[in-house]
Amino acid sequence: MQIHVDRTKCDNHGQCTFSAPTVFRLDEQGILQHETTADESLRHDVEEAADVCPAQAITVTD
Amino acid sequence: MSTDVAVPYLDISDPAFAMHSEAVRGARAQHWFARTNYGVAILRHEYVSKLLKDPRLSQGSGKWPDHNGVHSGLFYDWWTQCLLVLEGDDHHRIRRLLNPAFAPKHLEPFLPRFEALARELVEDIIDKGELEFVNDFAEPYATRVLCILLGIPESEWTTIARLASTIGLALGVTLKQDLGIVEDALAELYGYAENLIADRQANPGDDLVTTLVQANANGDSLSDSELRNALCLLIFGGMDTTRNQLGLGVMSYMHNLDQWELLAQNPELARNAVEEVMRTNPTTTWVTREAVVDFEYEDLRVTAGTTVHFFTQVSGTDPEAYPNPEIDITAERVPHYGFGGGMHHCLGHFVARADMAIALTVLSERMTNLRISGKDEWLPDSGNTGPVRLPIGFDKR
Repeated sequence: MQIHVDRTKCDNHGQCTFSAPTVFRLDEQGILQHETTADESLRHDVEEAADVCPAQAITVTD
Repeated sequence: MSTDVAVPYLDISDPAFAMHSEAVRGARAQHWFARTNYGVAILRHEYVSKLLKDPRLSQGSGKWPDHNGVHSGLFYDWWTQCLLVLEGDDHHRIRRLLNPAFAPKHLEPFLPRFEALARELVEDIIDKGELEFVNDFAEPYATRVLCILLGIPESEWTTIARLASTIGLALGVTLKQDLGIVEDALAELYGYAENLIADRQANPGDDLVTTLVQANANGDSLSDSELRNALCLLIFGGMDTTRNQLGLGVMSYMHNLDQWELLAQNPELARNAVEEVMRTNPTTTWVTREAVVDFEYEDLRVTAGTTVHFFTQVSGTDPEAYPNPEIDITAERVPHYGFGGGMHHCLGHFVARADMAIALTVLSERMTNLRISGKDEWLPDSGNTGPVRLPIGFDKR
């Protein structure tokens, strides 16, 4: 599973970190850092992170 | 706090204080923050964007009852367990369980019903050439949208509106003297919410309450009391805000009738039309945070416990971020903070954005040449503002 965050849309609110904390996190400056791939077992959490993103900045592809 | 003499001062408790004023614009031009009689106000977009999400600031409303002499009881217990004021892992757990129910894919099926509602309300007044916007449209629309989402019969909307408005008194500085009626309303709303939850547990439907009853994250789910608290927060937080924002929106377009016509001709711009109103004329004129620790940010020094207000309209019209800050529904804009930001970003923003876009589309499609047709009355221009009474004349289209 591939994870893409559109940095022109992402506003670092961090809602994705609640859904998939092992994939998305805010660094000490409050900037979103994320894995670009994740295990299939995390699909539900990652897709939920994409769904709830206030800026709809996350895309998940196979 | 900084002692720099160049830092402006704003008296935000002055009844004449106005966000849309030369004094506030002047303060923003002078410096990125101002001192106020209630802590610090952040004025510029760049700094609102950075500091609003700073973990050294907490939501800060948790102490509201204590600050107003209320230290126990039904309202106190509800408020201090609300998602709004929770922090850390307690917040993240509840927020995670609530978030998916408010995501666009769960809301999509409700949108045709929102549109049918908007059309019904407009149809009722379209031949009169005049309406009192708050009573005739904004309040029934905002409340019945909630009823549709929650699976409550729309005929009960006046009860929901009354309870939400009464509990809303708790946000006023008269909380202590209003406590009796606030708690009566909250107790009634508790009963309402508990019945809804029990019903959907027994009879799952296609509404948001059912989605929340079934919400599950890695085996964790919301307890009945967590569900009840969340539903009460949703009703309390979802009705007044949408009602007020719709009134502010129509007022904005009465001052920008060319944009109203542009929207009528291009309904695909409705989402932008909502963003422009939220940016330039938000109901939540400031978003409040409280410093958890002492810290410095450039020339701002705050001590733990200091209140920090983020001025949303002021930052939303900052010429540094918006070179042409006037409403333009065709413009590409950087994000505004009318829905707050960070981990406490408004939970219901997708609902609000969608239902207001539908309302503005239907209103602009049927009504043109809008003008104030009587005496309008407004809430103070601080905290959560909006019209109390807004008589509008129009030509039918």
